[in-house]
Amino acid sequence: MKFETVIGLEVHVELATDSKIFCSCSAKYGAEQNESVCPACCGMPGMLPIVNKHVVDLGMTAGMMLNCDINRTTTFDKKSYYYPDLPCSYQTTQWFAPICVNGKVRIETENGEKFIRIKQIHMEEDAGKLVHDDWTDTSLVDFNRTSVPLIEIVSQPDLSSAKEVLAYLERLRNLLRFARVSDCRWEQGSMRCDVNLSVRPEGSDKLGVRTEMKNMNSLSAIERAIEYEVARHIDAIANGTEELVQETRRWDDVKGKSYPMRNKETAGDYRYFPDPNIMPVVIDDEWFDKIKSTLPEFPEIKEKRFIEEYELDEKVASQIASSRAFCDVFEGAYERYPKAVEIANWLISDCSKILNRKKMTADMLSINGASLGELIKLVNEGVVNRAGAAKILDAMFDTDIDPKAYAEENGFIISNDTGKIEEVIKEVVANDMKSVNDYKSGKEKAIMALFGQAMKKLNKNCDPKTLRELLIKYVDSI
Amino acid sequence: MDKKTLIRLEKLNQLSLTESEEAAALDFFARRGNQAEALNGINTDDTERMVHVMPMTNVIREDKQSKVFTRDQLLEGAPESMDGYWQVPRLVD
Amino acid sequence: MNKYITKAAESAAKAVVLDDMILTVGMPTTAGSKMLDGYNSLFESEAVTKLKSAGYGIAGKANTGEFGLDFLGETSHFGACADESGNLISGCAAAINDGDAFAAVSLDTNGTPRRAAALAGLTCLKPTYGTVSRYGIVPAACSGEAVSVTAKCAADVAEVADCIIAHDFKDGTSLPEEVCNSIKGNIKQGEFKKVAVIKNLVDSADSDTQAKIASACTALNNSGIATEEINDEILPLSQSAWFILMSAEACNNISRYDGIKFGYRSPNYKNIDELYTNSRTEAFGLLTKLTVLYGSECLSDDNYMPVYDKAMRIRRVISEHLNSLFEKYDALLLPACSKTAYSEDEVKSDIDTAYNESLYTAPASISGVPAVACAGVQFIGKALSDKVLLGLAQICEKEA
Repeated sequence: MKFETVIGLEVHVELATDSKIFCSCSAKYGAEQNESVCPACCGMPGMLPIVNKHVVDLGMTAGMMLNCDINRTTTFDKKSYYYPDLPCSYQTTQWFAPICVNGKVRIETENGEKFIRIKQIHMEEDAGKLVHDDWTDTSLVDFNRTSVPLIEIVSQPDLSSAKEVLAYLERLRNLLRFARVSDCRWEQGSMRCDVNLSVRPEGSDKLGVRTEMKNMNSLSAIERAIEYEVARHIDAIANGTEELVQETRRWDDVKGKSYPMRNKETAGDYRYFPDPNIMPVVIDDEWFDKIKSTLPEFPEIKEKRFIEEYELDEKVASQIASSRAFCDVFEGAYERYPKAVEIANWLISDCSKILNRKKMTADMLSINGASLGELIKLVNEGVVNRAGAAKILDAMFDTDIDPKAYAEENGFIISNDTGKIEEVIKEVVANDMKSVNDYKSGKEKAIMALFGQAMKKLNKNCDPKTLRELLIKYVDSI
Repeated sequence: MDKKTLIRLEKLNQLSLTESEEAAALDFFARRGNQAEALNGINTDDTERMVHVMPMTNVIREDKQSKVFTRDQLLEGAPESMDGYWQVPRLVD
Repeated sequence: MNKYITKAAESAAKAVVLDDMILTVGMPTTAGSKMLDGYNSLFESEAVTKLKSAGYGIAGKANTGEFGLDFLGETSHFGACADESGNLISGCAAAINDGDAFAAVSLDTNGTPRRAAALAGLTCLKPTYGTVSRYGIVPAACSGEAVSVTAKCAADVAEVADCIIAHDFKDGTSLPEEVCNSIKGNIKQGEFKKVAVIKNLVDSADSDTQAKIASACTALNNSGIATEEINDEILPLSQSAWFILMSAEACNNISRYDGIKFGYRSPNYKNIDELYTNSRTEAFGLLTKLTVLYGSECLSDDNYMPVYDKAMRIRRVISEHLNSLFEKYDALLLPACSKTAYSEDEVKSDIDTAYNESLYTAPASISGVPAVACAGVQFIGKALSDKVLLGLAQICEKEA
């Protein structure tokens, strides 16, 4: 008997905001335990939730990137369950009118393109974190992540293999990072995924028993978890090894197995009801259009355009289009100085080198595109040399500087002032008559010593050809 | 409501009633249930639910971050804490 | 007589007493519950900040029924507040009548401050929902609870109400500044011409209460305000509908008290479930437990649509019905409770008292319209008619 797998995903993505969804605590990753916490985040009575507008902006952006319909009136609801990482014993989420519905995402599969339907995207607050302490045999609660804004992207059960799941997740990650909705880092938990999976005999129109798997912390863990779970389901159906039950299971990546979860959200009966403290959010045309106008071009469209319009090589185009920051800098630079291939080279070699050295990812590139264009122009026009340009680029990573002004202030401008060069030549020659005499007596290489000394005195900021010509002319004249 | 439902409700709400409290609860719920029957006498098929008595929308704030209280202040009233964390019995999952 | 849970040091300033649902810094806030015995809030309620900056002193934290869900404070962990003959009076009302405080600011979730005023011969305003910030109160039923003011007369109530009525960006249900400002200022007299007396509700009360309604009518008539008796079958639906909404919201709000972050933790536990269950079971009184369980059941998968959603629709029916009444009448006159005195024993022996008596207070709670209790009776009016209702109160006060 052949089997087919039916998979739907619930993907949680933490939004790239400065503050939390309902209070003003910092939403940034990596603070010391319980340092980004206020009375509301630890369940104390009396504070009231006020929605962070940027969360709605990003929720809408995500929906637009995933071809969703935006609910013009969207509301918040409360979901109740007890768990120590949930300080109020309720989570504020969207149950009755989520911000986005009915989307679709295109993925590439072995059999060509496929569309995965999105059921809905809703905004909600994250829960805190538990750390287990072996010495005291207790669990320790950290509320830093409590109320950090999330969107949950719920797909229809349109996926049929681990490969498709990975393709879908990569696509989501790419689109959401491109639109700056989230940094989507698996290792920091800013992107997480629960897998709903069932197996049925091929051709059957009846769905099999569905299980939900949680706690996969990387793409490879998701792949392993799906493969394990599919095998377990098939074994149960074909060989009767166990009776499948609808349940939530926890993936143990070390053991390579899934186990039924015993508590937390498995109980069901969440008692959803509309949050009386949060008024409906109404998205009017002005707000909608404003968000629409800030949407980036889809990465694959950019890539195509880079190849066709700027005549970039395919590999280079794809490398730049893989990062929104690279695209923005590239396009900014092109606007200032339309030499696409050179800009691409500067990005891929010079900028990447600095990023590597600073241990930053491509998305963290934050230099001003126009300034990069200006810098390349200065090099091409012989105003600064490559060595000077490297130093200027380094400085551009720290602050937004004007390359020309910076070059002038720091003596990186190539001197074309022949008077000044001649002055330096005279000084060098006067101090090293021995080299002059050696040169005149036929030791051609001796003039290179004079050249080196003059270059050093000029801080390397002069055109070598000019210096060479003037030097020979002067030495010959004495 | 029967006793089985009541016990499920107690679990769900982390409460445990005594036998006599359970008896009182079942009576209390039965009376409330009967009284709520009156609501069904009103046809509300065409009535929209009312969550907020004042019709307002878009009470939202700018994405600005601030910190008012220290961790120590927040942990001051904690029944048990350790190293800047709230502390609870070990969880299995 | 357990008037206070925390009494403040004497001060020269004109003192306001707070009920113990209002968060304060420097004095614990208990919500009348063992769960919050000794709980110190890190911040104070917006109302308290406003009172202090207007120069009022704080007399203390008055005894309060657990989470404001009860009839008149009888469920307080700290002992109910009764007078020498065993009649229940609220902590706030006692503090005013004993001369400790000029006024009281308290939370009206299920009608307690209005009942207390009616029983103690005081005047209480439950302002229009959204005109006083709910920032810094211990929440139970957010969709209808209101910070209220009680004092000896309407003029004193208006003075304190004007101090705390204001827009607050920290409360997402706070009405805009210009709306809040529109109800500040002098008590308005002479704007109202016709008051409807809700006869079926008056008839359900005892004869002493009926006599108070009759005196109020006489006072109004003497001032040229017409009164007309009507029977109304919609308003009584508020009682059941508000109980459903209030219980469900209270269940949700009270779920934060779990023995982990602050407040009471039972010493008896071996695992997290025992910690939760024993802490909550040992710390909450029976009425709180029953309210939580009932509220939870109203929100269950099976009951959400027929019970909770139904109650939200009834809420609209009641609001629209009130609006249509206010097209014909300027205000409604009804009792605030069914009798003129209650003994502590009788209330404590009947777990239904709070529910039964909410028949009179639930219409204003569920719809958010203002209500004034005075001279043993209650007026309710349309949204933002607060000062006109206080005008009616003044007329009745003069007569009484």
